[in-house]
Amino acid sequence: MGTQTPDFLELLKTLVLYGVDFIIVGGVSAVLQGAPVTTFDLDLVHSRTPDNLERLYQALVDLDAYYREPAGRRLRPEPKHLSSSGHHLLMTRAGPLDLLGTIGAGRSYEDLLENTNELEVEDLRVRVLDLETLIEVKEQTGYAKDLAVLPILRRTLEEKLKKEHE
Amino acid sequence: MVEEHPQSPYVEQDKSLREEAHEYSEDGVDLTLIRWMLSMTPSERLRTLQGFVRSIERLRSGNPNA
Repeated sequence: MGTQTPDFLELLKTLVLYGVDFIIVGGVSAVLQGAPVTTFDLDLVHSRTPDNLERLYQALVDLDAYYREPAGRRLRPEPKHLSSSGHHLLMTRAGPLDLLGTIGAGRSYEDLLENTNELEVEDLRVRVLDLETLIEVKEQTGYAKDLAVLPILRRTLEEKLKKEHE
Repeated sequence: MVEEHPQSPYVEQDKSLREEAHEYSEDGVDLTLIRWMLSMTPSERLRTLQGFVRSIERLRSGNPNA
């Protein structure tokens, strides 16, 4: 498996260039909204409409994406794979990219859309899962790694709301 | 600098001083880091994360100029 250094902006630029509909979730979403956490991959929930899957596929070809596998095989994702509700853990020329069909209690791109904010990052407009929902999803999954970050996310939300009301 | 020792009275005193200054939340989260991040734009936050990731990669490779 390759050891490409993550380049979050390059990943986002490529996805936007191909017109992919996606929501940034996970660590990068938290960072973009002010949480002092770190991550080495970009987690996205993608729309699974046929048109979007085709655009996503083209973006993944550009990014030279393949499944992260310890065995070292270079399995390439195809639109039929990406239509599932499961998680696709990929390596790309711009670092690790996790494509999630659903998160939490089976919530899809369409389900999450109303709980997102649009942010300007450099010259891109991207959609992020809001902090409230990110916290909710991490509480639902209950994994130790998700629970560990919850105090920071909760305090970030509190401080953010305080700042907005100042 | 107060040495972190469970029996030292200074540890409790230092902890309460920090809480009083609202530097830490009750559950130990460093609020100064959150306020620092919130003072930035989303682009600056992403650059900060990217810089952190690159620093770690440089340390891993043992090459500070990588």
